[in-house]
Amino acid sequence: MTTHTVTITNRNGATFEVNSRRPLLGQLRDQGVDLPYGCEYGGCITCAAKLTKGEIDQRRQVALNNRQIEHGYVILCVARATSDITLEIGVESHDKLYRNPFLDPLQPHELKADIASPKV
Amino acid sequence: MKCCGPGYASPAEAVKAPSEKLLYTIAIYTGTGIQKPDYLATVDVDPDSPTYSRVIHRLEMPGIGDELHHMGWNACSSCFDDAGMSRKYLILPGVRSNNLHIVDTATDPRAPRLHKVIDGAEIKAKTNLSGPHTVHCLGSEIIISFLGDAKGEAPGGYLHLNKEFEIQGRWENSMGDIKFGYDFWYQPRHNVMVSSEWAAPNTFMPGFDLEEVGHLKYGRELHFWDFEKREPVESFYLGEDGLLPLEVKFHHDPDSTHGFCGAALSTNVIHWWKNGDTWLWEKIIDIENEMHPDWPIPLPGVMSAILISMDDKYLYLNNWLHGDMRQYDIRDPHNPKLTGQVFLGGLLGKAPTVNGVEVAGGPQMFQLSLDGKRLYVTTSLFSTWDNQFYPEIRTKGGVMVMIDCDPVNGGMKIAEDFIIDFGKEPNGPSRCHEARYPGGDCTSDIWL
Repeated sequence: MTTHTVTITNRNGATFEVNSRRPLLGQLRDQGVDLPYGCEYGGCITCAAKLTKGEIDQRRQVALNNRQIEHGYVILCVARATSDITLEIGVESHDKLYRNPFLDPLQPHELKADIASPKV
Repeated sequence: MKCCGPGYASPAEAVKAPSEKLLYTIAIYTGTGIQKPDYLATVDVDPDSPTYSRVIHRLEMPGIGDELHHMGWNACSSCFDDAGMSRKYLILPGVRSNNLHIVDTATDPRAPRLHKVIDGAEIKAKTNLSGPHTVHCLGSEIIISFLGDAKGEAPGGYLHLNKEFEIQGRWENSMGDIKFGYDFWYQPRHNVMVSSEWAAPNTFMPGFDLEEVGHLKYGRELHFWDFEKREPVESFYLGEDGLLPLEVKFHHDPDSTHGFCGAALSTNVIHWWKNGDTWLWEKIIDIENEMHPDWPIPLPGVMSAILISMDDKYLYLNNWLHGDMRQYDIRDPHNPKLTGQVFLGGLLGKAPTVNGVEVAGGPQMFQLSLDGKRLYVTTSLFSTWDNQFYPEIRTKGGVMVMIDCDPVNGGMKIAEDFIIDFGKEPNGPSRCHEARYPGGDCTSDIWL
């Protein structure tokens, strides 16, 4: 089984070994990382974390729009590591997750994948 | 008339009930960064009590991440004739976790205790439903609207529980062409239920992308059901006047066909009634958008809730983003008259501080006393939406205020001796939402 190392910068750089088959949320929680979560199927954004290095597969998530993905957000309850990765976790990592839509509208290419237009 | 079951013989009897001494409100940590369970807070609202205007008990849920939201009773005045029933249990759905918490409030009303949890995974497995919202009882049975299927896609459906809180399956026989679910209310003497539309859980749970409204990912229709056949029979397309039609209320008078819905994003009140055999609708209140000095897009009020006083005389509504609560005289439901208004928080800076507490958020959920004199208002809408519009709520928490209402001549005024600052909760700032009274309230009871 392929394993990868997860480094969590806002937990003093603590490292954890995870496999590439199961979502990150459960594997990190099993190792004692206290993480927020809600729906556990990739739809509610509660468990969002920020990926600052490495690669993940989060094809099952349906919560993030393309701007949030561009900012590095990953949905831990469905995302799997496909390389060694570095994360910021919890609400502390949510500085760019939320925006006021009346102050800061999305461009058409920044919508969720199912309705986004190609970037021109 | 005296009888044996829960509630009151009629709305007029309910108005005469003793004043509430306790109320329950849910308070959330989901989405706040505090890794604690959401909880049910008991609030002392007895002005003669030494702990008046304080949280006197907290019942934590077993797990984190539920996002408690709305609640409902196991029984209401629809069981007034049934000696075998009592208003004992409050049902607390977790919108995100799908768990249903059944809380016993009768054994010790000041300190409710957990009676049972219906596991969210079991509900998904047996009924393919997720995203629970509104709870109503019907006779001795309970139905709960769910906004999505097990994967969070619309339109969801209705869970049917028996009085022992056992899953009976889906309540509805058909969802027809309904695209989305949200709130519902029924008026049995007219064999009608009306349901409204928010969005799929996968759309609204991550937050509000305004742009998705134009992509038809949020609702704009009301649905009229044949209540006995359990299927929708007619839908009203409300268009731009009815974007995000959320809370649905019929008159409390069980003979009336008049009902109302608050369209949150359009910030309009929609009124419907039956003329002969025909259901008709009209827009009766239209709150204008306001310009924020620094923002490019006009700001809607966002009318996330409405409430009808037990005597059917007043309609209350909120503008969560503008920051005001309003009272309208609806004795002529076609021609409402504005009779009261107060400001509380909001994004326009009109009332940043109330009774010495800095308000993060705006007026959001509210519950009115049965006599129509005391309106309890909370400020949080939904964790992810709070985080978008009022990010400071993370450190300030929610507040509950009380508004004194004049049920005779109209008028509203914030009570100066009552405020609960959920920013000072023992585990850190939490956010309060819907409130209920042990004796029944203005958003629970339906008469058969």
